Amino acid sequence: MAGRRVALKAIDWLAFAERVPPNQRSMFNALKTRSDAISAKLTSLPEAPVTIDWSLYKSKVAKVGMVDEFEKKFKALQIPEPVDTQTSAINAQEAEANKSASAYIEASKTRIAEYEKKMDKLNNMVPFDQMTIDDLNDVFPETKLDKVKYPYWPHKPIADL
Amino acid sequence: MLSRLVVVSAHGLKSSSPLGAGCYVVSRSLVQASRSLHTSSQSRAPLPPLPEKGGQVRHGIFPEEIFQLLYPKTGVTGPYMLGTGLLMYMLSKEIYVINHETFAAASIGAVIIYGVKKFGPSVAAFADKLNDDKVAKAQEVKDVSLTSLAQAIEDEKKEQWRVEGRAMLFDAKRNNVAMQLETNYRERLHMVTNEVKRRLDYQVALQNLHIQMEKEHMVKWVEKSVIGSITPQQEKESIAKCITDLKALARATQTSATA
Repeated sequence: MAGRRVALKAIDWLAFAERVPPNQRSMFNALKTRSDAISAKLTSLPEAPVTIDWSLYKSKVAKVGMVDEFEKKFKALQIPEPVDTQTSAINAQEAEANKSASAYIEASKTRIAEYEKKMDKLNNMVPFDQMTIDDLNDVFPETKLDKVKYPYWPHKPIADL
Repeated sequence: MLSRLVVVSAHGLKSSSPLGAGCYVVSRSLVQASRSLHTSSQSRAPLPPLPEKGGQVRHGIFPEEIFQLLYPKTGVTGPYMLGTGLLMYMLSKEIYVINHETFAAASIGAVIIYGVKKFGPSVAAFADKLNDDKVAKAQEVKDVSLTSLAQAIEDEKKEQWRVEGRAMLFDAKRNNVAMQLETNYRERLHMVTNEVKRRLDYQVALQNLHIQMEKEHMVKWVEKSVIGSITPQQEKESIAKCITDLKALARATQTSATA
């Protein structure tokens, strides 16, 4: 009846805390308090139970065979280990999270590529004193005057001047 | 002909860049080349940078090029001699007639020259400042965009790094589950041993209790039988003996008190 020791992975809570974005910090704190409570409960229980001194009882109890019967049954007893129902659910969650994380990373990479393209455009642009209006509209698209919507000068609402 | 047609149709297109017209014609051009030839009247060569200063002039109106042109043949004073000669020729031959308009022109010219000489530089500086403000504003916009883009890239990279830590969350969850299972198992072990121990202890205690009760009962019974066996005859004898003992004791104390 030895206690079974499942390999518990050591978690570096500090490194974990660094990676938590600020808007999920409260969830992280809740998780940490729960984990701490569970591990405290675990460490408060001793690993092996109290051993029963069979010889003492054999000498004390007068009824013949009672102690022997108890001892035999006790030694033969197998305590069933509790069934693990959650690990598979957790693994499924992890797989899903991996999928969504890779999708997020892909989107993030496309965003980074866009930003880098814009940066290259800005860095390689014609210097301001050699620009034409077309060059300016090319680099800063927001300066382009909409000559279809406002066909008459100044091609933008007077309030925007 | 085809190019004029293209230019007319290009006006109808929405795009304002010459690139649009070129792309539109590539599919129709007879020359199956990736670049089309002479398709629009606009030149797509990049512009040379604008010169910093205007053409050099002497005395405000005479371009420097004339002086450079005449220098090899007539030296430094050549153009001046040419100018003086021309003026004399026009005055003497009355090609230019001096009249009232001459004095009006001279006065107006003097005022204009005075005005330009006095206020020219400040007006030029003012105009340059307007331009510089526009350029500075555009430069500021560009710098702000660059910094914000760089910052955005940094943030995205940081978010990617954060996402990499997701395995830790699931490890924590699995640890929690394992710890709870272990706790439960230990609780079960403890419960079983405690129960068995309790039952054995109960048996032992029960036995002890029996023995105790038997002892007590026996003691009581012996007491009762002893008391019951004291007959009235023995009681009288024991009381008489007690009285004689007491008398002897009293005599002994009297003599010791008087002595």
